[in-house]
Amino acid sequence: MARLEIEGLCKGWDFPVIDRMDLTVEEGEFFVVVGPSGIGKTTLLRLIAGLESPNEGRIILGGNDISRLPPYKRPVAMTFESYALYPHLSVFENIASPLRARRLPKAEIEQRVKDVARLLKIDQLLTRRPAEVSGGQKQRTALGRTLVAEPEVFLLDEPISHLDAKIRHELRAQFHTLEALRRVANVYVTHDYAEALSLGDRIGVMGRGGLVQIGSAHEVFEKPQTLFVAEHLGQPSINVLDCELTARDGVLHARHRESLLTVPVAQAHVQRLNGGNADRVSYGIRPQHIAVVADGEVVRDGLHVIDSTVTLFEPLGTYAILITETAGATITALSSPEHRYTQGESIRLGIDTAEAFFFDAVNGKNLVL
Amino acid sequence: MRDRHYKLVATLMFVFLGLWTIISLFPYYFQFITSFKGIEEVNRITPTFWPDEFLWSNLDLVFSDETNVAALLDTLLIASANTALAVFLGSLAGYALARFPRQAGGENMAFWILSNRMFPPVAILLPMFRAFDTVLGSTDNHLSLIILYLVFNMPLATWLMMVFFRDAPRELEEAAYLDGYSPLRAFFKVTLPQVVPGMMSVALLCWIFAWNEYLFANMLVGSNVAVNTIQMPGFVQGAQKLWNLAALFSLVAVLPPVVLFMVLRRYMVRGLSLGVVKG
Amino acid sequence: MVAIDPKADGVAQTSEYPEWFRNKRRDRLLIVSRWVPISLIGLPVLVLLAIVIYPTIWMFFHAFHNTTLMSLTRDRYQFVWFDNFENVFTNERFLNSVVNLVQYLCFGAVLEVILGTAIALMLFSVVKWNWMRTVLLICMVVPLMLPPAMTGLIWLLMLTPHNGIINEILIVTGLTTEKVEWFSTSLSLWSITFADIWQWTSLPLLIVYAGRASLPQSIYEAARVDGASRWKVLSRITLPMLKEVIAIAFIIRFMDAYKYVDKIYVMTSGGPAESSELPVYIAYQRGIRDFQVGEAAGYAIVIFAVAAVLVTLFLKYLKKVLKAQAIA
Repeated sequence: MARLEIEGLCKGWDFPVIDRMDLTVEEGEFFVVVGPSGIGKTTLLRLIAGLESPNEGRIILGGNDISRLPPYKRPVAMTFESYALYPHLSVFENIASPLRARRLPKAEIEQRVKDVARLLKIDQLLTRRPAEVSGGQKQRTALGRTLVAEPEVFLLDEPISHLDAKIRHELRAQFHTLEALRRVANVYVTHDYAEALSLGDRIGVMGRGGLVQIGSAHEVFEKPQTLFVAEHLGQPSINVLDCELTARDGVLHARHRESLLTVPVAQAHVQRLNGGNADRVSYGIRPQHIAVVADGEVVRDGLHVIDSTVTLFEPLGTYAILITETAGATITALSSPEHRYTQGESIRLGIDTAEAFFFDAVNGKNLVL
Repeated sequence: MRDRHYKLVATLMFVFLGLWTIISLFPYYFQFITSFKGIEEVNRITPTFWPDEFLWSNLDLVFSDETNVAALLDTLLIASANTALAVFLGSLAGYALARFPRQAGGENMAFWILSNRMFPPVAILLPMFRAFDTVLGSTDNHLSLIILYLVFNMPLATWLMMVFFRDAPRELEEAAYLDGYSPLRAFFKVTLPQVVPGMMSVALLCWIFAWNEYLFANMLVGSNVAVNTIQMPGFVQGAQKLWNLAALFSLVAVLPPVVLFMVLRRYMVRGLSLGVVKG
Repeated sequence: MVAIDPKADGVAQTSEYPEWFRNKRRDRLLIVSRWVPISLIGLPVLVLLAIVIYPTIWMFFHAFHNTTLMSLTRDRYQFVWFDNFENVFTNERFLNSVVNLVQYLCFGAVLEVILGTAIALMLFSVVKWNWMRTVLLICMVVPLMLPPAMTGLIWLLMLTPHNGIINEILIVTGLTTEKVEWFSTSLSLWSITFADIWQWTSLPLLIVYAGRASLPQSIYEAARVDGASRWKVLSRITLPMLKEVIAIAFIIRFMDAYKYVDKIYVMTSGGPAESSELPVYIAYQRGIRDFQVGEAAGYAIVIFAVAAVLVTLFLKYLKKVLKAQAIA
């Protein structure tokens, strides 16, 4: 049973990077860690791999405590963000490296390397050096090196961040289908939330000191526990307004403190909010929940319509980003790319108030969960 | 505007470079012609720019004497053994300082090792003379020089190898660890191949220093073992110094360094640029 | 459990740090056994200790005694406090040699670095063909390959006043009318300096050349696109970027220059009339020729100490300059 358990893991240098983290990754699970650059995702992987020693805490793999083991004794395989391929060895030798370390017989090594190479479609490149192959092929070589090692946990550090979109797509598909990965625990690190949403059985959003929220892709996106989580998932990122809750005409509104924008609070949220005593909140609404309302269109219930001026229109293929000035506040919305908006054009935006989030202005917690 | 003057400046620089090349090569030319002159011609009041008669026989005079050939071979042994030792020890220390700076003593250790190169030879000569006398029985053997040259070559090797190891990416070693290699095996599989060019340039520098060393050799050896540099004064005939033969011998003795340099020059430039520029 | 506010973007205050962090061990935790670095550096250090510490202690010991070679073999010497050191600072002969040393270093080491840098940069900018650069470089570096002692001998031969080839050339080309007395009291130090320049300019040359070769080409292309004049490129781009390299070339040259006595030994024996003596040479003479071991030890220690201090100061200054440059 190759379950990975992390208990009370602590690591810090000038300041704490990982603070008493607990995590369990089940066998066969694909756990994705998302978070901004520099937050400590790679540090987490390195601690599991043994390339860093924790200040406190334990790491247990398949029931065995590996916290004190040096990296070369841990049944762990890792792909580095920079691939870390041995430049003076051929692709074949790079992949064969873990097997050579175990001093396996030559024939067996050859067989296993060729099998993995064929699986990853790099079997034509076995005699080449890393400098002579493309980025995607380098990545597959690095992946091959980990597959061949048959570890009890795979650690993947931003494996496809530096590749172009098409190759990323291909490799994402590969991660979905590779059997070997499904047999043991996998920890996958990325800063790209779309990748995380696509690949992860469970997603951990990493903030200062550790994992802020763990859940399914759907959960972390639709039910963020904190403002931080909401901000880091979603492209373009969520609109956040510093608001005051006031009553107007008997209805609870969120009034933006820095502009004239006022949005009514949906009924479902009113009960939860009145229970607390926050009158100052961070109001969050995702661009996908704001749409352009055409003249004469029938407005459905719950949609708050408001006048707005276009500041920037950015068509991006299948959708377009609209940056607008609305009652003095900058609001980002999504629209279809078919209609081209011009700068300064007056439009009307419909805000789906039921999809709004309310976060505590001080500690960022989601008040409405 | 400046570039109008440039053609003039460039030509001047070219001329200067040519001049300096001539200056660099002139003493070798002088040495060459002197090597093949007869001794009377060398001692003439008006020096000649080419031998009156090209005395190939000088070669025979120099190399029929066994001691001269033996001197060259002895130097080869001493220089090579010392270089191997210096590079080996220097690599160990350099690796430790590069990968585990704090545990290996840090900057202070590195500086202390380097400072040994600044030792005035005198300071080492007297005490080591007595030490070798007592421990080895005499100083007139290969070992005394092989060990003594370490004082200068090992710090150089350490410093340069430290820089080269620093340049070798740590991630490759980490990847090797994760593949299952212990630090020792990882070193040989991954780190060492990365620093080979640098090692070549270090070895070259150490070897040339050992090959050309005069002072210690002069003091410590002479009868049992001889080194090429101390053979020079040995070319005498009665009271007269045979400059021509000495010149010829040293011309031959300078060939190995020059040849080695030409063969390894690619490593020299790359090694020096990495070592000095980044160090 | 996350104990730190995940919404916070700024750095948490020290007082908010959890206990495990405040108590953590300062030393960096190794991933390999503790013995690996110790054994790695242990062997070389032991070797060095054996061949360096022993002479150092020996020297310090005898610097405080009035040892001569005789008394050494008979183990009879007296403690004389700082007499030997006092001698270092009062001995006229030694002080003269220090003056000589300053002259020698200024016109030797310093000039070699300047000349070497100039030639290296010239090679880069004026010579366009790679093969030519290589050929010229090899020709210019060849002087390094000769043993310094042999270089001394060759120059001795060439500069021999009455039948040397240099004087012959000078007269034939009309640069002088009489044969120059290269080994008179006024010129003998210069003769040594010339030989030194000839031999050692190629070391800074090689180092600066290597440094220049490793500068990124893109900067020069950008400068060309910007239309910078060649002079500006030199003074604003090349030289600042090579500051470190030139400084290191100078240190290397300096460290070697003041302790090499091969040429003096071979060319002038310090003469005539001690006009071309350098401090290390005097230490050598007094110690080995005149058997005044204690006195020589005094000289050696002072020489080494001064050099070590100078180099350390220079390195510290260099680090400061480079750090400022890196930040800027």
